[in-house]
Amino acid sequence: MASAQSVTAPAAASTLRSGRAPLSAAIGTAFLLLAVFVSIRQAALFLVGVGLGVALAGCRFGFTTGWRQLVTERDPRGLTGQLVLLAMAAAFAMPLLGRFSELQAALGPPSVALLLGAFLFGMTMQIADGCGSGTLYKAGMGVPLNLALLPLFALGSFLGSLHLEHWLSLGASEPVGMVDRLGAGPALAMTLAALMLLAALARWWVGPSRRWIDRRWITGAVALAVLATLNLLLAGQPWGVVYGFGLWAAKLAQATSWWEPAGSAFWSQSGHAARLSQSLLLDITSITNLGILAGALWVSAREGASSRPLTSRQWLIGLAAGLVMGYSSRLAFGCNVGAMLSGISTGSVHGWIWVALAFAGTLIGIRLRRRFGFDQ
Amino acid sequence: MNAPVPAQTPSRKRLTWVFWLLMLGFVAWDFQTSAPIDLRDEPPLIAAGSGRVNSGGHCSMSK
Repeated sequence: MASAQSVTAPAAASTLRSGRAPLSAAIGTAFLLLAVFVSIRQAALFLVGVGLGVALAGCRFGFTTGWRQLVTERDPRGLTGQLVLLAMAAAFAMPLLGRFSELQAALGPPSVALLLGAFLFGMTMQIADGCGSGTLYKAGMGVPLNLALLPLFALGSFLGSLHLEHWLSLGASEPVGMVDRLGAGPALAMTLAALMLLAALARWWVGPSRRWIDRRWITGAVALAVLATLNLLLAGQPWGVVYGFGLWAAKLAQATSWWEPAGSAFWSQSGHAARLSQSLLLDITSITNLGILAGALWVSAREGASSRPLTSRQWLIGLAAGLVMGYSSRLAFGCNVGAMLSGISTGSVHGWIWVALAFAGTLIGIRLRRRFGFDQ
Repeated sequence: MNAPVPAQTPSRKRLTWVFWLLMLGFVAWDFQTSAPIDLRDEPPLIAAGSGRVNSGGHCSMSK
């Protein structure tokens, strides 16, 4: 399928082959600076982020594309990759959560905000052709729409955080963590059974004689599962993307005179307020986000990402979609990474609700994408 | 159908440079204006088994 702004085969790659050496040196220097001036943990997390970026960009591991190919082409290879990723990440994370009390699951509250946010996110990620991690790695690879979209994603995430209290007042329950409630073993068994059910549903949808396994997707899945587990072990919390974006925009807003964190129910909480006042280099999601950008840039030095030119209308629609993605991912307590991957793999019920609603939104988003001519 | 734009064109390279300069400038500005980092209060390299509860922000947080 030809898709606008999608990442396709390398084009003028050979001329850039030498670009990886200075980038490797820059990444190594950043690691050393972080280790000396921030903390060894943050330096290690930066490298984990670089690895995530290399895996995402090198394997073209796009959650959005995988879902779209499943729906429009009945191609299950991307879904297989995502199911393998979820199963492996859960198999690693749940026993660790059961063993180490310092580790935290990605627990979001089932709520009206989650339902609406996940639906809108699933819809707009198809229009913008990238979820949270997809936007990051494509921006790192220099895809123009994603480069331009990233600040709007951050702004949307920040605006969502300002309104979150109002959305939660429409109805929310306490987060449900299966590892806490059932224990690691039963929680993992239930998660794997649910993933197998999804595979069976996909088998019914795509029909027989389909190719399910693609080396690129499986390689990406294994790499991402290992790196996500490393993130959990080192940071004490699962991999996330969106929080960092919102924090960046909040820091910029704080520098202006029109916004005071004390007036925000979200940012006046002690933890968030502390992160606002300290360097973003100490923030876990910020440091892995920067690593992902760097890792994707490193990959793009040899394997560039071509893209299709967009009309002015498509640019406007794409940028608006990015803003809504940011807003809705805050309402949904994460994107494909923070809510789906980290939520499901650490036993949070909100991750499963997110998948159902985001997939429903994707069905609409794919049609809108076609209507706006992004696939032509 | 619109023809794909090659991976590296001069305009894309410029855009990438602008993006990275802005990003690095933002990080540098933030580092300068934020509270100094207390190197004596460094978090453990590995949270698991450290006995120290994580206090990082995450997308799943509602408050």
